[in-house]
Amino acid sequence: MTFSTLRKGGLIAAAIASLMASPAFAKVTVLGWPGGPEETALRAAADAYNAKSDTSDANKVELLFFNRDGFWDKLQADLAAGSKAFDVNLLATYSIGRYAPFMEPVELSDEAKAVYGDSVLSTMQYEGKQFGVPTDLSLHFMYYRKDLVEALLKDDAAKARFAEISEKHLGKKLEPKNPDEWTWDDYAATALYFTQAVNPDSPTRYGTVLQLKNLLFNMMVFQSLPRSYGGNWMDESGKVTVNSDAYRKGLETYKLLYDAGATPRDSLSYEFAEANAAYASGQVAAMMQWNAAASDLTSKEKSPTVAEVTETIAPPAGPEGRFTHIHGLGFGLNKNAENKDGAKAFIKWLSSKEAALIYARSSGAPALTPDVVKEVAAERPDLVKLGEFASKYGYVMNGGTSAKALSVYELQAKEFTGYWSGQQSLDDALANTEKGMTELLK
Amino acid sequence: MTTLSQRAPSSEFRLLAVPLVLFLLVFLGFPAVVNLVYSVSEVSFETLRRPEITGFSNFAAVWNDQSFWQASWFSLRFGLLTALLECALGLFLAIFLSPLIEKRSWLMAILMLPLMVAPALVGLMYRLVLHEFVGPVPNYLWTWFGASFSFLGPGSAFWTLVVVETLQWTPFAFLLFYMAYQAIPKEIVEASAMDGARYRHRLWYIELPLMAPTIVVALLIRFIDGFRVFDNVYVLTGSGPGGSTASLSIYIYEAFFKQGAIGKAVAASVILFVVSFAVLYGLNALAARRKGAR
Repeated sequence: MTFSTLRKGGLIAAAIASLMASPAFAKVTVLGWPGGPEETALRAAADAYNAKSDTSDANKVELLFFNRDGFWDKLQADLAAGSKAFDVNLLATYSIGRYAPFMEPVELSDEAKAVYGDSVLSTMQYEGKQFGVPTDLSLHFMYYRKDLVEALLKDDAAKARFAEISEKHLGKKLEPKNPDEWTWDDYAATALYFTQAVNPDSPTRYGTVLQLKNLLFNMMVFQSLPRSYGGNWMDESGKVTVNSDAYRKGLETYKLLYDAGATPRDSLSYEFAEANAAYASGQVAAMMQWNAAASDLTSKEKSPTVAEVTETIAPPAGPEGRFTHIHGLGFGLNKNAENKDGAKAFIKWLSSKEAALIYARSSGAPALTPDVVKEVAAERPDLVKLGEFASKYGYVMNGGTSAKALSVYELQAKEFTGYWSGQQSLDDALANTEKGMTELLK
Repeated sequence: MTTLSQRAPSSEFRLLAVPLVLFLLVFLGFPAVVNLVYSVSEVSFETLRRPEITGFSNFAAVWNDQSFWQASWFSLRFGLLTALLECALGLFLAIFLSPLIEKRSWLMAILMLPLMVAPALVGLMYRLVLHEFVGPVPNYLWTWFGASFSFLGPGSAFWTLVVVETLQWTPFAFLLFYMAYQAIPKEIVEASAMDGARYRHRLWYIELPLMAPTIVVALLIRFIDGFRVFDNVYVLTGSGPGGSTASLSIYIYEAFFKQGAIGKAVAASVILFVVSFAVLYGLNALAARRKGAR
């Protein structure tokens, strides 16, 4: 064998080895939420972190993404299998309990409390321990057509018709109010008034659009209604309390609106995208929807029919007050991380004010305290409302971060949609839910 | 003279079979054994490596679960109906379009297009097509008749799903039947024509009997595919209000991942395996008996 052949062989071997090796600059692997503003924001934060002079080459961050469809199931399978493919992984409030056995609690920066506040930090806690940095917060806004409501408030004949409709369908005479003062009955009455099947003179085809698909996220949208009537999953002693007047009221209100045609007939297959499309068509007067829809529904390019006449406020009130479901997406530490120290350093930095502001300026949706959010208020006015609503109206149900929280939502989705679609009675739906939840949360 | 099958396996034969046996043991045998263990165990994602054997409680839970029977009935109905519709339509198209495709073979490529789309994407596509505010079908119904029809409501979701499945998979049946139709010897057809057989007689007594094996295979393949349907149904309706459009595949998936009831999900899959095996064994025995009777 000649020297030239040896040299060629060596070069080929080196080339193969370099192809097989991980890039030397990417030592902390982070599994993120793909394809949305969360990905954009995480990329910006990771770039900023990697550019810092005190980030060693061994601790630079590399991002991983896999498809959103079935993301949580795939993550569960990976974590349970002891995967070392990522050091830091995404987690959500409703799934912390499910993933906690495969993760480690984290230490946040000293600024974290001042940046996020206690209630937001609690969305990433499980059994008193902090399992992640709450980078994005999701809650619900009520989106409504201010042009329609203003016209209604000015028209005496319309007010009389409104009272007539509310008396017929809700059993009490109501008069139109400013949406910020609405109770759930006012919302229902307004939805009925703006429904052509109920009021042929309505300028919109439907008064509202409900997301009634058998899907766990739709249950999160629904929960704020029973919560405002005092509903909760469990009481302090751990007894399941879902078979209650509060849930009965919530379920009946939705059923009444569906049966009266105040929401499209196909609402039983609607989720986020379908509801947005319905509202953006200009044929819906008001709806409860995730805050994530705000940028699209108020964009003249994306929703030209409704962008300039859409207002967002917190969901209506019940006897116990005004509530919005909140949950956070965040990042935590994989128990089997290969670069645990590097991962801890990145998580700590991610919880700092510097990182939170970069994240916010790059399309993320962190719920920041008033002192911090004012620094980005000009660029991200929506974050001001997000932080305000989260601190004033945000709630997490008792058991909402348990290992079986997702299964509870799944169960409710099946039983409640069964009632709304007329396949089972309200009593059966509530009894089945109570029985199933007792089994899941024991 | 001894035949190859009568000879005792040689050491070379055994050696050559080793890779295949190893492959089957690793990729089929191991998961099958693990499944059997899980089906009689209390197991969760946290205890995947240390399941606790608890007997047949998972099987009892599945057996007593109304949702299991609802999903079984959905799968059976869906599988049978779609298989029949796809084969009937495919057969009609194969015979009806045969002269046209013989002259313009490029038409075949167009007719095959639905097969090229992933079932999950078909579900996504119909979510748009049937949406009241962005879909063309509801839009025209509203414009022409002022009607807002619920395609995915409780009363209609099943039939909408059947239509969607049929539209996607009829080309598969059509392809099989077209090939079988083309393979019928021309001389038989010509001889029957010379004997004065009319078209419908030729079709009924000559062509269809010659295509019968293909029809049976197509029905079986399409039934199996329809029975185990998952992607397009799950994307289009989830498991439906109250679980009304949950197929057995969806039932098992939801039990496993959504409820974390791994033992129950695996027990359901074991029941499905046993029933499927029994049905296929029965069909095989029946076919063998018919073959022997000839």
